[in-house]
Amino acid sequence: MFKVGLIYLIMISTAYLILVRIDRGKTLLSLQVAGRSLRKLIPLLIAVFGMVGLFQVFLSPQQVEQALGASNGWISLFIGGALGAVSIGPPLAAYPLAGSMLDAGAWPPAVAAFVICWISIGIITLPFEASVFSLRYALLRNGIGFVIALIIGTLLGVLL
Amino acid sequence: MSSRPKSAIWVAIRSQWLLLMVIGLYLWAYNVSPEKAIQALQISANTLASVMLLIAAVFGLVGLLQVWISRDLIVRLLGREGGVKGLLLAALCGTLLIGPAYIIFPLLMSIHKQGARWAVVTIVLSAYAVKLQMIPIEIEFLGWPFSLGRSFLTVAFAIPTGLLIESLMERRKL
Repeated sequence: MFKVGLIYLIMISTAYLILVRIDRGKTLLSLQVAGRSLRKLIPLLIAVFGMVGLFQVFLSPQQVEQALGASNGWISLFIGGALGAVSIGPPLAAYPLAGSMLDAGAWPPAVAAFVICWISIGIITLPFEASVFSLRYALLRNGIGFVIALIIGTLLGVLL
Repeated sequence: MSSRPKSAIWVAIRSQWLLLMVIGLYLWAYNVSPEKAIQALQISANTLASVMLLIAAVFGLVGLLQVWISRDLIVRLLGREGGVKGLLLAALCGTLLIGPAYIIFPLLMSIHKQGARWAVVTIVLSAYAVKLQMIPIEIEFLGWPFSLGRSFLTVAFAIPTGLLIESLMERRKL
């Protein structure tokens, strides 16, 4: 993630360096807008990352894996989606975890729902999403997105 | 005017309630198990440090987009006039962007304020569950039928989901 971030930052900095030659005023204004939007969000970002640590320590991957592998059928599909929805982390962290679930005998649709929800549904970040977009949007997107993730998981089970 | 300090505190609580809640949770965690709470704090700090550069880069992009990209262009590409092409472009953007989804919320909202439709915002976030550049890694861990099947279904469902949520958003605001 650090490397990816560095590459992104270099790309964006290059863009700024090129644009500053084209229009100095506009580029400095961009930098101001960037700084202002970041400053406004810092308390929220600190809160979200604080949650990440709490969840990783108080909810171990082993527990996650046990809950999903032990139960069967539709309940595990729902549990898979729900676990993905409450956890946050980079997609890269979801793949090894999902792989170990499959190896442990978890149902593939449940694992698919887990991966999809892990990346695109966020219960912990829901307050943040609501403050950026609106409560109505955050609830609709996460609610419908969750149901769609379960449907995709089920269809994948049919395909495999 | 004596109510002014009181309301200032109220505003602070209302705007920062999540941060206050997390601080509360840490105090509780520290009470239950000091070592675990410190470990959680360390993980949080490490995670934040690992995506710090990415966050800085994304906000740099937010600034550029807001100042350089005209409202007209966004409306044309990602607004109603963009049609199917705009929706497909959104799906492609979603699969290519990296980093936790919540990092791009502000970026998407600024695009929305500049005229991008709700369907576009939603499609980007739905297609986000597929990472084109990471598919080789996913295949490594989950096998190719699982990975390709999941990726295909996710992208196929992103556009109808986006249109559904858009129509619900535009129905009489609450």
